[in-house]
Amino acid sequence: MKTLMRKSALLPAVFALAAALGASPALAEDAVNVTNLSYRTGPFAATGTPLMNGQRDYMLMLNERDGGVNGVKLVYDECETGYNTEKGAECYEKTKGSSIVTQPWSTGITLQVLPKSNVDKIPILAPGYGFSPMSDGKVFQWAFNPPASYWDGASMILKNISEGNLDSLKGKKIVLLHLDAPYGKEPIPLLQAYAEKYGFTLLPIPVGVKEMQNQSAQWLQIRRERPDFVLMWGWGAMNVGAVTEAAKTKFPMDKFVGIWWSGHDGDMKSVGEAGKGYRSISWSLPHSESSVMQDIKKYVLDAKKAEIGEGEFDWVFYQRGVLISMFTVEGIKAAQAHFNTKVVSAEQLRWGLENLKLDEAALKAIGMDGMIAPFSTACNNHAGHAGGWMLQWDGAKFVKVSDHITADAEMIDPLVQTEAKKYAEANAPWPINEECKM
Amino acid sequence: MDFLNSILVKPFADMAGAPDFLLQVLWEGLVAGVLYALIALGFVLIYKSSRIFNFAQGIMVVFAALTLVGLHEKGVPALLAVPLTLLVMFILAVVIERVVLRPLVNQPDMILFMATIGITLFLVGFGEIIFGGENKVMITEQLYIPTGSIEFEPFGGFVSIEQKDVTAVVGAILLVAGLILFLNRSKMGRAIRALGDDHQAALSVGISLSTIWVLVWFIAGVIALVTGIVWGARAGVSFALEVIAFKALPVLMLGGLESVLGAIVGGLAIGILEKLFEIYWGQPLLGGNTETWFAFVFALIVLLFRPQGLFGERIIERV
Repeated sequence: MKTLMRKSALLPAVFALAAALGASPALAEDAVNVTNLSYRTGPFAATGTPLMNGQRDYMLMLNERDGGVNGVKLVYDECETGYNTEKGAECYEKTKGSSIVTQPWSTGITLQVLPKSNVDKIPILAPGYGFSPMSDGKVFQWAFNPPASYWDGASMILKNISEGNLDSLKGKKIVLLHLDAPYGKEPIPLLQAYAEKYGFTLLPIPVGVKEMQNQSAQWLQIRRERPDFVLMWGWGAMNVGAVTEAAKTKFPMDKFVGIWWSGHDGDMKSVGEAGKGYRSISWSLPHSESSVMQDIKKYVLDAKKAEIGEGEFDWVFYQRGVLISMFTVEGIKAAQAHFNTKVVSAEQLRWGLENLKLDEAALKAIGMDGMIAPFSTACNNHAGHAGGWMLQWDGAKFVKVSDHITADAEMIDPLVQTEAKKYAEANAPWPINEECKM
Repeated sequence: MDFLNSILVKPFADMAGAPDFLLQVLWEGLVAGVLYALIALGFVLIYKSSRIFNFAQGIMVVFAALTLVGLHEKGVPALLAVPLTLLVMFILAVVIERVVLRPLVNQPDMILFMATIGITLFLVGFGEIIFGGENKVMITEQLYIPTGSIEFEPFGGFVSIEQKDVTAVVGAILLVAGLILFLNRSKMGRAIRALGDDHQAALSVGISLSTIWVLVWFIAGVIALVTGIVWGARAGVSFALEVIAFKALPVLMLGGLESVLGAIVGGLAIGILEKLFEIYWGQPLLGGNTETWFAFVFALIVLLFRPQGLFGERIIERV
């Protein structure tokens, strides 16, 4: 069923072989390598695969439709990590010589390669994941987490569940059900700060990787604690396991809210009607009729350049993968224009990612209006803080159920600065770009 | 004093104070224990007959479950997909014996163990190519597995039991009973045990090594399919099922690698004890998630007193 997908995955290898053999010097000159540290195997493959498919297909579409970016072919390559930090670090070492960007695809791998980015001078692009203080570009000059950090996500969820009145959370009990990994622990400092300020009780409940599919102990604890809300930082099979257990324990689904990586159609289809009412914050909106999605359909899917699973085209994750590749491509375009060059280097791409200007007009021009909120990045803002929307599972698909929500900068910014400073001191000597010179 | 109270008094007071909740904890522990025992059995059978620690047992669970769901997606009726999946698992057993094990006869145990890692890596890649990495829904209803819940109110409280969990427990008991009967009463079963006791002696009386190896790998495949159906019904079918095999390791340490009874008792003990510990000691005192290590620590303590495990055979070597 997915065999054609593999055929397209071979394309970069064919390009690389042709270039190595000197068959096409022009191709070697006019191409940039954009490697993805992907995971299509292992316990998290179910959530990784549609994201990687979306990323790959957007680049394939640009190559087919436009011949790449301003005449420069995009060589989309993948290095399989299995969401394993050690393998991710190996992939980074293996690909840092060729790729102009590092897409680590896990908070654990991001934390591993973060100290190396200053030395190797390759930008890290971790859209909507990674270490939240990376949004402070003065400290993390080579790391980018647009369009929103995990702390943005936590803030947006709290705003939504309190219906805009955070004081209403006073005396409430909120459980954070999280994967016992750096990713899952990421929102805890901010949520603790919120708990102290607004007087609610935060109860983090970790879920180990081996326990993802049998969370009865965690949900027995939830049954005993009777929280007002359960927030979830889940990934892979943990999402299905949690929603299944929530339904089993009769926890009200509308009080159960996940971060954007816990809002996957593929996961929820396993739960179906039982998951009806479950919500997930999202910085992206699926919009299958948008012109970019229609072009992907025309140039990639209909042309049998790649094949995806049934219904996957409409999924939140597939279309989010498209947006993630868009960040890289727009960074390349910005760098091309600024440096007046065609084939950009990793250092030039860093500038491009720091100067993304994705306003309404720019999103419309690339056919992505309605799929993401406008945002821009800057030297001191590597996250963009685009905000997002609350999505709700209706038993068959995710639907938008809120207006645009933005994060609470007043709560997040001081914590970002404190934690970024702490990281720099712990990893001294760490270069800081106070004057934004670069 | 408070500390001692929180360890020695409060947990038991909590149990007595909410007996319905205790019943729910015990039931969840029992279900988990049965499932652990099922995974451990796959390891035990292969080890017993061939001295191979089968690292591929976890991926066999994934492969069997994906084959079943994949066949159904292709339009094969569920009840026909089950025997077809068993046929695939039989073919897999034959291929493993011919391609991997037969050329490695008489090699050290470590080489055979490494070969099963190779089988794992192959099945991960092969499975991904054939079925893709996406999560799939187990065909629970099509297999006539009931999906509702039974609720009752003991001691004025509330206990909920999933019907599919009941089916899992009953199915596992039947499978284990059948397996024990097969091993003890059938000719082939006795041949498996004979091979486990003494390879050379078994071969000298005409027991075919290759036939037995195919048979045990096939039985491990059957167990993998049952495990895949049961676990897949709980949280979907994906490559994530592979990690549940690691839950069997402390069970094997506890029960012994060669004992069917050990796998069952070890699985049940770990399932129930780790749940009780997590709920009444782990979560209040240690922040939870003790299930990731409790079973290993418990097995380690048992090994201090019984190095061969609860039911393993004591190894006596004359020097």
